[in-house]
Amino acid sequence: MAGAEPLRTPLSGLGWALPLGLLVLASLLALGLALAMGSVGVGLDELWSVVRGEGNALSRTLILELRLPRALSAFAVGGLLAVAGALMQVLLRNPLADPYVLGLSGGAAVGALAAMLAGLGGALMTGSAFAGAFLSTLLVFGLAHGTGSWTPSRLLLTGVVVAAGWGAVITLMLAVSPVERLPGMLYWLMGDLAHAGAPGAPLALLLVACLVALPLGRNLNVLARGPLQAAALGVAVRPLEWGIYLMASALTAMAVTTAGSIGFVGLVVPHMLRLVLGNDQRLILPACALAGGTLLVLADTLARTAIAPEQLPVGVITALLGVPTFLYLLYRSR
Amino acid sequence: MGRLETHELVIDVPGRADGAALTLAVEPGQVWGVLGPNGAGKTTLLHTLAGLRAPRSGEIRVDGRLLASLGRREVARRLGLVFQERHDGFPATVRETALIGRHPWLSPWQMEGADDLRLAEAALARLDVAHLADRLVSTLSGGERQRLAIATVLTQAPRLWLADEPTNHLDLHHQSAVMDLLAEQAAEGGSVLMCLHDLNLAARWCDHLLLLYPDGEACWGAAETMLVPSALERLYGQRLATAWVDGAPVFVPAR
Amino acid sequence: MMAASLLRHLTLALLPLAAAPALADERCAVDDRGREVCLAAPASRIAALSPGATELVFAAGAGERVVAVVAHSDYPPEAAEVASVGNHTRVDLEALLALEPDLVIGWVTGNPAEQLERLERLGLPVFQIEPRRIEEIAGAIERLAHLAGSEAVGKAEAARFRQGMAELARRHAESVPVSVFYQVWDSPLMTINDDHWIGEVVRLCGGVNVFADLDRLAPRIAEEAVLAADPEVILAGGMGEENRDWLDHWTRYPELTAVDRDNLFFVPPSLIQRPTPRLLEGSRLMCDALEVARGRR
Repeated sequence: MAGAEPLRTPLSGLGWALPLGLLVLASLLALGLALAMGSVGVGLDELWSVVRGEGNALSRTLILELRLPRALSAFAVGGLLAVAGALMQVLLRNPLADPYVLGLSGGAAVGALAAMLAGLGGALMTGSAFAGAFLSTLLVFGLAHGTGSWTPSRLLLTGVVVAAGWGAVITLMLAVSPVERLPGMLYWLMGDLAHAGAPGAPLALLLVACLVALPLGRNLNVLARGPLQAAALGVAVRPLEWGIYLMASALTAMAVTTAGSIGFVGLVVPHMLRLVLGNDQRLILPACALAGGTLLVLADTLARTAIAPEQLPVGVITALLGVPTFLYLLYRSR
Repeated sequence: MGRLETHELVIDVPGRADGAALTLAVEPGQVWGVLGPNGAGKTTLLHTLAGLRAPRSGEIRVDGRLLASLGRREVARRLGLVFQERHDGFPATVRETALIGRHPWLSPWQMEGADDLRLAEAALARLDVAHLADRLVSTLSGGERQRLAIATVLTQAPRLWLADEPTNHLDLHHQSAVMDLLAEQAAEGGSVLMCLHDLNLAARWCDHLLLLYPDGEACWGAAETMLVPSALERLYGQRLATAWVDGAPVFVPAR
Repeated sequence: MMAASLLRHLTLALLPLAAAPALADERCAVDDRGREVCLAAPASRIAALSPGATELVFAAGAGERVVAVVAHSDYPPEAAEVASVGNHTRVDLEALLALEPDLVIGWVTGNPAEQLERLERLGLPVFQIEPRRIEEIAGAIERLAHLAGSEAVGKAEAARFRQGMAELARRHAESVPVSVFYQVWDSPLMTINDDHWIGEVVRLCGGVNVFADLDRLAPRIAEEAVLAADPEVILAGGMGEENRDWLDHWTRYPELTAVDRDNLFFVPPSLIQRPTPRLLEGSRLMCDALEVARGRR
């Protein structure tokens, strides 16, 4: 790994401050960009006066009521998905895991679509989506636990099957729904920050996740060596694994109920960071929060300005950005 | 410190009827060898003793306290296990891997300190892998990985060592070095229990032996009493010829 | 002295009259979600967030006041000149706000509820419409005209529409019933039941919708159901305004009555699948088609 050694010594305080500092800077730049860019041009001096508390009414509305909450939601959702992805990859000891692999977004989608079919909206629909996600978590938990012997591959297989099951239910719901409800359902399924809820709750959860990651981090490093090895070194493996699963589920559920299923962030961001920063989860998890947030803010800014006034779903952009970047990094790391 | 006792312990080998109940005591200063053919349950025994597998019946005590009553961290501070099989987890450097051995001694909020790093570096040097400290584990040879595994347990610094075939993949020089290290641990007041498939290593280095027969039968005791050709031949299903070198017996498969 | 007090009296008497125009300017109407929307003055900058809403606003006579439309607002042609703010499923709120509308016309099931709520929270009046029955079309035009202050044109248009439809109804009140299958879409194969306005038009023209009693407004059916029902007339739109492919598809079943008598009629979708005044033209086409079919018995 050319050029990466100085950063990977776990004890070097500077070694962590540098990447995290850079990521914080990138986050702030991305947020600034999101506030400055939009389908309506707002000059930088106008932006500055709005920040100071002045500026004309239209600019204030655009920046403070439209762009700011949307950018913060994007940051929170991106961070949540990236951290959930990193946790899943440690849990399943598989670098191809992402937050949706255990069927969680499918459960949330079924909850949301069921609410839409019943004509419910707003908080009831969000609540229903959460309930669906929770149900999916319990289902996979229960089925994988089965008669005792539990391995990551069993969990993965159970999750894949449950996810496929939810997919079938979603298809059924789309097939039988009245025509006028379809646009709303498809809109939700595509994952979009245009209708994202208030950023407060997702941001709070992201912060909590990062705080919990600190004491949990070294345990995760040891767990990544293998469950027997970890148990021999004093890690309570089973409780830790279920804890990671529940935490990743909570993060993913919050992300999906805020903005629908946005793909790629949860898979690509942790992986990219691991290629550059090594495998200490104490660094990777907060870095994922920052990098995931930055990526999604940038992607969402592009989604709403690229072909304005037409608006693209952000999932399209995350795929278009994520895939080549990831391939490039993979190629470089050989 | 470093005392391991079992009382009527019956290990759980899936698909096999209950074996003999083991009641033995590994005292500080002793080096025990576990001998037996493939499939006799040596690894299962070691994992059971480390608390990683449940026995079918019986109890295990570490330093006089029931293993089942100790928390995992407490166990990890007293007992270290050198595994036979290793998984390649996510990529990590040699130094990082050795440092993992300090995990039982650090609280969740603590970062590894200079002392921990020193211990890890010393362990790596002792096992002759210090020059590989920044290399990725996946790039090491089998022998280097084996030495790294032992260095990790050395960093963990338990009084009681359980080792599953610690000399696998090692060349003669390093085999001797590792056995020296284990003997040293015992001499300093710790205790060692290791599975060996090399009968002669056991004969040379162990003062107590446990023979595990494939049908579940077992016998144990001081090395001199166990190193009886007839018993060994029954153990391995192989005729042996005995020679004496440096006052210790050497066994060779007879033609 | 007398002149001064007379002047004072006159002023006092006339004061209420001076105040009246200010109140008379206020426009209120109830939208299709049952909410009352009030404007202090007739709307002068209207945003129409669906192609149907655009048509209705123009029909109400408020065309010059429309400052924002969405994609696919193709009728009337003047709508193409108006700035677009995205798609009805995903509106570009920034572009919309920059145009400073004072009234937003939304489509109840067309626009995302969250975006309309966001606009309301930002202080914009949002009036949601979606006519579902023939009569509601005229009502929608009248309410929009009231909000926009273009009552003269709007009421006239609504009246014209009502009279036209009533005339058709009268003409065909005693007509011999004809069994009809109206095809909304081809894959999946979709039709309408009698609660839909197209179903109303079929009844009005003296037709009998073979799928009148199905539960859903726009049910998906199998081809077999059509063969079993064996309608006398098949009416369909197509992809676009001139594409007869869907009708031609049925010719592979020569045993169908409609195929045998060549009662396959094309009705341009924009004239009948939109709840707008052009439904009158579409209804005339449909009634004419059923007349032709009666002639072929």
